[in-house]
Amino acid sequence: MAKKAYIIGSGCISPQNTVDNNWFFESVVSHESDHLNAIEPSYKEYINPNMLRRMGRAIKMGVTAASIATTEAKVENVDGTMSGTGLGCFEDSERFLLALLRNEEQFLTPTSFIQSTHNTVGSQIALIMKCHNYNHTYVHRGFSFESCIMDAMMSFDEGKHTALIGGIEEHTPIYIDLNQHAHKLDSHIDHKYFEGKDLGIQMGEGAAFFVLSDTNKNASSCIDGISMLYKPEVSKEILLKATQFLKQHNTSLENIDLVLFGLSGDKDLDKHLLDIIAGISKTNAVGHFKHLCGEYHTAGAFGTWLANKIIQKQNIPDAVKINLSNKTSVNTVLIINGYLNINYSFTLLSKC
Amino acid sequence: MISAIGNNVPEALFSLSNSKTGIGKVNHLTTRYKDEYLLGEVKLSNKELMDVVGSTAPGLNRTSLLGMIAAKEALVNSGIDLKDGLRTGLISSTTVAGMCNTELYYRDMVEKHGHLEVLDFHDCGESTERIADHLGIKDFVTTISTACSSAANAVMLGCRMIKSGMLDRAVVGGVDSLSKFTFNGFNTLMILDKEWCKPFDENRKGLNLGEAGAFIIIESEASLKKRNGKALAQVAGYANANDAYHQTASSPDGLGATMAIEQALAMSGLKPADIDYINMHGTGTPNNDQSESKATVNIFGSNVPKFSSTKAFTGHTLAAAASVEAVISVLSILNNKIYPNLNFTTPISEFNLSPVTKVTDAQIKNVLSNSFGFGGNCSSLIISKN
Repeated sequence: MAKKAYIIGSGCISPQNTVDNNWFFESVVSHESDHLNAIEPSYKEYINPNMLRRMGRAIKMGVTAASIATTEAKVENVDGTMSGTGLGCFEDSERFLLALLRNEEQFLTPTSFIQSTHNTVGSQIALIMKCHNYNHTYVHRGFSFESCIMDAMMSFDEGKHTALIGGIEEHTPIYIDLNQHAHKLDSHIDHKYFEGKDLGIQMGEGAAFFVLSDTNKNASSCIDGISMLYKPEVSKEILLKATQFLKQHNTSLENIDLVLFGLSGDKDLDKHLLDIIAGISKTNAVGHFKHLCGEYHTAGAFGTWLANKIIQKQNIPDAVKINLSNKTSVNTVLIINGYLNINYSFTLLSKC
Repeated sequence: MISAIGNNVPEALFSLSNSKTGIGKVNHLTTRYKDEYLLGEVKLSNKELMDVVGSTAPGLNRTSLLGMIAAKEALVNSGIDLKDGLRTGLISSTTVAGMCNTELYYRDMVEKHGHLEVLDFHDCGESTERIADHLGIKDFVTTISTACSSAANAVMLGCRMIKSGMLDRAVVGGVDSLSKFTFNGFNTLMILDKEWCKPFDENRKGLNLGEAGAFIIIESEASLKKRNGKALAQVAGYANANDAYHQTASSPDGLGATMAIEQALAMSGLKPADIDYINMHGTGTPNNDQSESKATVNIFGSNVPKFSSTKAFTGHTLAAAASVEAVISVLSILNNKIYPNLNFTTPISEFNLSPVTKVTDAQIKNVLSNSFGFGGNCSSLIISKN
């Protein structure tokens, strides 16, 4: 990927007050629970009421985040739309599934089935924007959103100029209950994931969308590159991949102003990333972000939203910091995200 | 490829060459409608599929099993040694993923907190990772879900990543097993035919669902030369467009489909007249076949090439459909044969287009293969003789 992807608009619905694009951690919303619910806006302001009525929460969050992003970017159409979601429209899937099981496959209506398919958010965006261009949905765990970035950057090399990309995830009361009973969740009252004390994650949800452009006009930051790593066996493998990735972009770890980690809060799942943090925190400013949005397949989209804002505002919020930075400016942020200790990704953003 | 017409490519070729459909009475799917509908089931039970892959790992479900078997067959046939230092990716697609198992246990999970381990095996990425681990692929994995066009988009992504230099080769395709969830979903939409489906027939009533895993391996020329390999065919064009008309219905003017075909042709540098055969999406639903016929006429006018939908052999295998049909397209090219559109008698009066209805000899250089899905996702591939 030779060309950069400039962020010219973003929209984010998350467990923080991110719906307001001007808000930036003036106060952190603290969730003292094993799951973080997104703070949802009044959707009527963003979506036609006739469409809104049939939409599940994932669709509402996704379509609204996309709308905020395209409004900020002042674009009405894009050359490609790439959506990422690990579980898709889970609420509708669950509704249809339970109805069919409880009624023994009788008396079913198609609405929730129609809305349940993973590509619903992307196709609703196409419908609303009346956009006939390339439309794609990635559904691979901690690579779902990251594949969108890769696809968009590839499309710029192929001659396309704009892309709308995003990550969407929703949880439901039943899904939370099941995860609680499977002992997968923990409340992490002090949110210090980086101390590696606890087992269990705080489950999160949300949607973040970005309008990317191949030119830097009105850009808040740019994405220099993305790389993914599947099932590394040791932490050294992750560090090596990060080093190679940075080298490809003519930089190195010591030149990175902030390394932003996607820790899950579960010390077993985080073991490799905790190793890396211990190794680099003497020389690098280090932060983390999932205690603010919770853990989910596409939390990397929230991380990207955060990194973009940090560069735009030249301000690293206290809530993000693991160690203190002595640097006065933030020109480069490297996101190292992990999911289930299976999917790792590296996203480099810089000031433009 | 594993599908209703065979557990591997030679078996599928035998069925295709003998006009032998794989669609029939329900043997494996547990549903109250098992005596009322026909399905394109893979003939092996889960236990038999596990014997084929030689694994009984926890959480291993029918979707993953079909994917593992099909992808392994493709890899073995290619002669590729994954340890030769070249970069290999796996791009799979699915819509069902772990739902085929989740639906068996969800009530127990929700009401009694039993079988909670099923949570770990529900998502789409899980099935792809099973396939990747079964093959030993680590360089890149991702999963696509764009409904019935999914596997065409997997082929497209693989080609793009190879062209951009990110990979040397990619195992691309899709997999979906039959599930009560999708069966009942399509049933509530009232687009299932209780008889054998009749694509492009005036009196078509709907589709038959099927299940399959199908993968092809695409490789750069440099990589092919390096290992002295021989290509079976080449991907000459691809395109993805959106109909942006309705969440589940295709537009009557076939706009999205027309755009996908047009753009795929433009990329290949071919003219409409260069297409020797179209493997249609042709699900057999009134809506799809009308819209696709319109798109075909939009592009080809009164010179529509020979065409058929092979879904009356395999059933509609959803996320696997485009890779099943890519394999069939390659078989058409290699054998210079068009495999028929079964069960057709009367052309749709609006278009008066008749598909090929018998196994037919023809010189085939360029095949257009269409795949259109819910959400307006329309993709077309052009596969050419090497």
